[in-house]
Amino acid sequence: MHTVYSRINNISALFSSCVMGLLAAIALSSMVLAVFEAPVDGGTVQVNGLKVVHGKGRQYKHEHALVNFEIDADLTPLFNWNTKQLFLYLDAEYTNAKGVQNAVVIWDRIVRRKEDAKIHIDGRQKYAFRDVTGFRDASATYTLRYNLMPHVGALTYGTAGGTNTSVPFPPLINHV
Amino acid sequence: MFSEELKAFRRLGFRHVLLQALNFASVIASGLMIWKGLGLLTNSESPIVVVLSGSMEPAFYRGDLLFLTNPVSERYHTGDITVYKIPGADIPIVHRVLETHDAKSRGPLPYNQRLLTKGDNNDVNDIELYRGLDYLERKHIVGKVRGFLPYIGYVTIAMNDFPQLKYALLGGLGLMALLQRE
Repeated sequence: MHTVYSRINNISALFSSCVMGLLAAIALSSMVLAVFEAPVDGGTVQVNGLKVVHGKGRQYKHEHALVNFEIDADLTPLFNWNTKQLFLYLDAEYTNAKGVQNAVVIWDRIVRRKEDAKIHIDGRQKYAFRDVTGFRDASATYTLRYNLMPHVGALTYGTAGGTNTSVPFPPLINHV
Repeated sequence: MFSEELKAFRRLGFRHVLLQALNFASVIASGLMIWKGLGLLTNSESPIVVVLSGSMEPAFYRGDLLFLTNPVSERYHTGDITVYKIPGADIPIVHRVLETHDAKSRGPLPYNQRLLTKGDNNDVNDIELYRGLDYLERKHIVGKVRGFLPYIGYVTIAMNDFPQLKYALLGGLGLMALLQRE
């Protein structure tokens, strides 16, 4: 009954269930907080310049879209005690001439502190935005989305704003 | 050191040893059942994975435990964190979806989805990791990361790095199970 083994076993079992209970409480509390929080949807995304040029990839010819955009968003309400980081990304969604629905991340940022969560960006895309079929007659909507990553628990996703209307791609420029 | 245990072993007899072996086997069997049952529920071949590399830092570090689901009708979105396995590569990779391309299809799903991924801590996308593929397809995806538990999985990394630890632990557990008295 009272061997060293059984004592070690009891203590470690108690310890690990306490830790697990605490972690579960943290995860659940942050989920409850998220339900009562006002949704973050006040952000704006504005496309200031858009250009389509020829591109040459490894294997295929394709068209490149060059986007200049402006983002304004306040994501501070998303930070609570269980927020490890926010993964912010600007998503361009469009349907091309072949009927393929595309979603492409053209910019992202990791926000780790509440002080950095007021976002104002006036910049260009970070990742290549290309299409083998081309952007002719297509138009894209640009949405700022976030992925809230907790210290422990479930990952949640949301939208922080976007262009209200879809932005048509301009005709291809042949000579850059 | 073990003389007392050996004495107890003689006293308890053969039947007791068989009973303990049965208990041990049922523990292993129920563990396996839970694992496979989870796999059925989540439609994922491995519903819990341990992060092995630092390519998703600072989101995930080595040793973090991830919980996955992979429902059949699930459409993947940009920003989702997927676990995928390229044929020929033995280690599954945990990276974020950078591009999705949904073509209409007449298959079991209304669309045929192609994905491009990137690690948060990498500067470029994963095309170099795809072993000649241009895009990931649904069949390469093991699951989508839904939940996260820090550090717990480090035990398995430690066991892989130091195999002696694994054998010591397994042997110790086996001995305890056989010699344990109620």
